Amino acid sequence: MRYLLLLAIAAPLFGQGGAANGATGADWPSYGGTQLAWRYSALNQVNTSNVKKLAPVWAFQTGDYDQGLQSTPIVIDGVLYLSTTHSQVFALDAATGKLIWQYKYPMPRAAGGNIQNRGVAVGAGMVFVGTYDDYVVAIDQKTGREAWKVAVNDSKQCGCSITAAPLFVKDKVIVGTAGGDGAFRGYLTALNARTGRLAWRFYTIPGPGEKGNETWKGDSWRYGGGATWMTGSFDPALNLVYWGTGNAASDMYADNRYSGQGEGANLYTSSVVALDADTGKLKWHYQEIPKDVWDYDAAYECLLIDREVHGKMRKLLVHINKSGYSWALDRTNGEFISAYPIVEHHTWLTGMTEDGKILGRIEPVENKATLICPGPDGGKSWNQVAYSPRTGFMYTPSLEICSNSISREQEAVEGRGFLGGTWSNDPPADGPAYSHIDAYDPVTGKRQWSVRYKYALLASMLATAGDLVFTGDPEGNFFALDARNGSKLWNFQTGAGHRGSAISYSVNGRQFIATPTGWGSIAGRMIGPLWPEVDTFRAGSTLMVFALPEETR
Amino acid sequence: MKFASFLILVPALAFGQGPGQNNMAARGLDIFDKTCATGYCHGTKGTAGGAPRLAARGFDDAYVTQTVRNGIPGTGMPGFGNLERADLLAVVAYVDSLNGVTPPAVPGMAAGPARPKLPADAQRGRELYSDQVRGLTRCSICHQADGIGIAVALPLTSVPESVAALRQVRTPQVEMATAEGDTFPALVLNRNGAQTKLYDLTVPPPVLRTFAKGTVTFRAGAPSAGSNWNHSAMLAPYNDQELEAILVFLRAVTK
Repeated sequence: MRYLLLLAIAAPLFGQGGAANGATGADWPSYGGTQLAWRYSALNQVNTSNVKKLAPVWAFQTGDYDQGLQSTPIVIDGVLYLSTTHSQVFALDAATGKLIWQYKYPMPRAAGGNIQNRGVAVGAGMVFVGTYDDYVVAIDQKTGREAWKVAVNDSKQCGCSITAAPLFVKDKVIVGTAGGDGAFRGYLTALNARTGRLAWRFYTIPGPGEKGNETWKGDSWRYGGGATWMTGSFDPALNLVYWGTGNAASDMYADNRYSGQGEGANLYTSSVVALDADTGKLKWHYQEIPKDVWDYDAAYECLLIDREVHGKMRKLLVHINKSGYSWALDRTNGEFISAYPIVEHHTWLTGMTEDGKILGRIEPVENKATLICPGPDGGKSWNQVAYSPRTGFMYTPSLEICSNSISREQEAVEGRGFLGGTWSNDPPADGPAYSHIDAYDPVTGKRQWSVRYKYALLASMLATAGDLVFTGDPEGNFFALDARNGSKLWNFQTGAGHRGSAISYSVNGRQFIATPTGWGSIAGRMIGPLWPEVDTFRAGSTLMVFALPEETR
Repeated sequence: MKFASFLILVPALAFGQGPGQNNMAARGLDIFDKTCATGYCHGTKGTAGGAPRLAARGFDDAYVTQTVRNGIPGTGMPGFGNLERADLLAVVAYVDSLNGVTPPAVPGMAAGPARPKLPADAQRGRELYSDQVRGLTRCSICHQADGIGIAVALPLTSVPESVAALRQVRTPQVEMATAEGDTFPALVLNRNGAQTKLYDLTVPPPVLRTFAKGTVTFRAGAPSAGSNWNHSAMLAPYNDQELEAILVFLRAVTK
């Protein structure tokens, strides 16, 4: 009976009244749970009353320890798919952890640089993974054998790589790219899921003759950044794909790229773009950070929810970028609805107008360090928020880390670093750096509760219908908070720091909570100078899986 | 432009003994600040950023040289072997100085590039050949030459005499494959093993597809029967002048 109930919940996506439903059920089919990116499970077998009994049931060590385990596992029909830093992919029995198959991507021998991987997509009988050297690989979901692979760029030339999980949409797989802190022009690539053939490509920076190109000075658009280094969302009802775009490059020096013409600046960097899923054509864009000079990447997740705003149901897109602000937009047309801070230190601006215009910009200057909050680590790193339709709250991991930044003119050399400045991570002026988990009303930004943590929280949030919020910390704790008030209900020391994304799923009626463990990543190292204890955060690459003991269910 | 003129002016001073070493470290500092001390990677003055601290680590010149040139595979440290030699030595000298080491003098060191510079027209051809603005329809999406590009096609052994000849290039090695109810032009890598591996050339970029034995058929008479795939159609993103420049580049780098 329980199993049948779970199946009923699992069927996505549109329930009563046509409101978007981004809850997962037995499966965890997509990077953000569903394509709406709620990271919310409708399973409630594990809940506030029994979470104390939650215990480990199996663990899987990947053996790929570099950069920690940054992945979000995917679960479909009792099989769990997991990728690691070097684009190794494992299919495991989701109930027992037994290995079904593994795929070891042959990494190029000379590989260096930004090697990390945050997950796979599954669809059309394939498991899709991006690679350090810009290949997209499709692996047969049953056998683990490679079905196709295709290079979507020449990594030696572009200095770019694929680190994000792809997004499976209808009959296509859509992949972003990292590389926007170098002299590089970002894009999204959609491939036919079955054959690997190119379906469309969308450049995040318009070329000559295209609208928006006039916002770039001279040839600067060629190397203007706008990487799509995280995973987007999809609204099946609107047939729109949503993706956040990264910073403009050079990151901290804009005089060579800012034309002062057109609406916006350096389009479509530090923006959200909405694209037709079939053609890749731009439907609308919203630039959150015009003329970004802070490396305030807006590449993060797009949370798609339907909420009442001033008495009227609206289709929303809620989106946080590194600036420490969260935006709520109308996802049908990109209209600005609200923006609010999710950090306590935001010195890069003095305020924002009611229609979202930034006031009083504090920018990095040449030859003199300026303390600016947040720094390029962001008011939130790429680890993701969760949303519970039961509480109506969005759960965020915020960072109170600032930087002393200096801008510097730099010439673009294709595929090479193009920061246009430098920075050091530093605490806020009024005290030490820290982080916090908060619950927000996603439209008004009213904070409901807050839990402070002394280091940087760099793992994603998971919300469940058991009114629980799960996440992990760098010291190795994996814990559950009460989604309604933030009180800590359960904690388990997993032995290694957390930089991945926990999920929940069920097999034969038993609910599981799975979390990647293993400290690593660029941001993980960047916080090192702030706290000597960071040296004690353990690397690793293990998936830990928890459930209630059989007798208590 | 600022950076380029700096390169032209400084080398005459930079590579002697004594004060010259300091100049070299100063040049290295400039390169280090722009290339290495970006915050995501190392911090300024050899402090830690996203990557480890470099100052006072007890590094010797040989280790620093090796690491800057080749990187550390499997980590975030890329190799910078394609920096101009003078720049590479300068940045090594700077990191050496952070570790209290004086790099050995380099006798007769000239500020030349690591690989011989191409003539200007060939360089222009190289840029066109690998021009990102042409996206997935640039030459280097299928051809590798001079260390750039993806080696889908076999390495070039001869270069067409003219643009007209380039437009006439025939590709009998491309044949028509049928799989999963679909017929498409294919460049076959392996047809006799347990799996058939081929590049699907339907639309660039080429897709390396793997099929179970016996699930792909080829048009009778293949490979001599050829295909509906046409190399000249791939030249569409370029005009004649641009193709001429690309040929100049290919002649300069094809042995």
